[in-house]
Amino acid sequence: MFGIANETNNAVALLKEIGLGEASLSNNLQTLANVDARYLRDLKINVTNALNAETLSKKEAYLIAIAVAANEKNAELQRSFEQFSTQNGATDKEIAEVLSCTSLLSANNVYYRFRHFMHDEFYNNAQAGIRMSIMANPLLGKEFFELVSLVVSALNGCELCVTSHEKTLVTHGSSKQRIHDAVRLGAVIRSLIVLL
Amino acid sequence: MKNLALSIGSAFPEFNKKAVVSIEKGKEFYDLTYSEIKDSGKWMVMFWWPKDFTFVCPTEIAEFNNHYQDFADRDTVLIGASTDSEFVHAAWRRNHDDLRNLQFPMLADTSKSLASELGILETEEKIAYRATYIVDPQGIVRWVSLYDLNVGRNVKEVLRVLDALQTDELCPCNWQKGEATLSA
Repeated sequence: MFGIANETNNAVALLKEIGLGEASLSNNLQTLANVDARYLRDLKINVTNALNAETLSKKEAYLIAIAVAANEKNAELQRSFEQFSTQNGATDKEIAEVLSCTSLLSANNVYYRFRHFMHDEFYNNAQAGIRMSIMANPLLGKEFFELVSLVVSALNGCELCVTSHEKTLVTHGSSKQRIHDAVRLGAVIRSLIVLL
Repeated sequence: MKNLALSIGSAFPEFNKKAVVSIEKGKEFYDLTYSEIKDSGKWMVMFWWPKDFTFVCPTEIAEFNNHYQDFADRDTVLIGASTDSEFVHAAWRRNHDDLRNLQFPMLADTSKSLASELGILETEEKIAYRATYIVDPQGIVRWVSLYDLNVGRNVKEVLRVLDALQTDELCPCNWQKGEATLSA
């Protein structure tokens, strides 16, 4: 248009947005880029908007993104988000806490989902016997720890965990918009990982 | 005296104007028509400033340019406009560091016919207010903002509004009970 050719490779532009170079171009992204698929631009907008939600600080957004990348086992993207979070003030201890939280929630999501599926008195009354000491005094504060727990639970599809963590967040005074934005960030980063 | 600017729901007027699209010799000018933009099936964001070679303007124009790709990602044609001539536009672009690499056309409404049809001319000097229009692919004005001569704009807010206008929740998951079924 207007005699100006647009030669942007939208897959590369998307990778740049998440701190990755052309070397990280996956087969899936290449397939979409070959036909200049419209979805690449939508995905880039979704990712930037989700990471820049007003109710989350940059540091919080990247820490949640680390949890999602770890939960979805994408080490390369996780490293990139770790760098972004460090640039925005996250310490190594805080990153380690987010990873611990993600791992623990993976156990809880499976375990409590099973209870929820069964509705059985024995299982409901049994002691979980899973150590959860990191929940006691989180560095990042109880509210943010709960927020990460909620996002991971939403990804792993445990209804009991999702409803419980949401309820705790509301009693901690988190706004529903913040809860919404955190879950949306988790959803969008997962959609990104599907194509990486 | 009553100013009436073209507002939400109106059809954006047709135009055929000179625009500056480059500072390369021989490639500076382009005949820009609204039909070309409309026929492309894209959205349009058109933003106006009062006068070339003034102070607030280059900062603001450079900020729109920084977000050029964000508009392109949203299937949106970005147009900058003022009532200066195409020669003044070209001279300004050559003269100012922040303007040399502009990626969008600078429209020259030298006759002021478009600004006047839009109802965005300041009465004393007959220069345009800082108007911003979002026009959908059907040619309908979906958002207008009008700022006084010395007030700068927030480009991120324009993108936010554009996102809100474009993001229809088409997913069946979002159906509410009792709502009509989706037909898109």
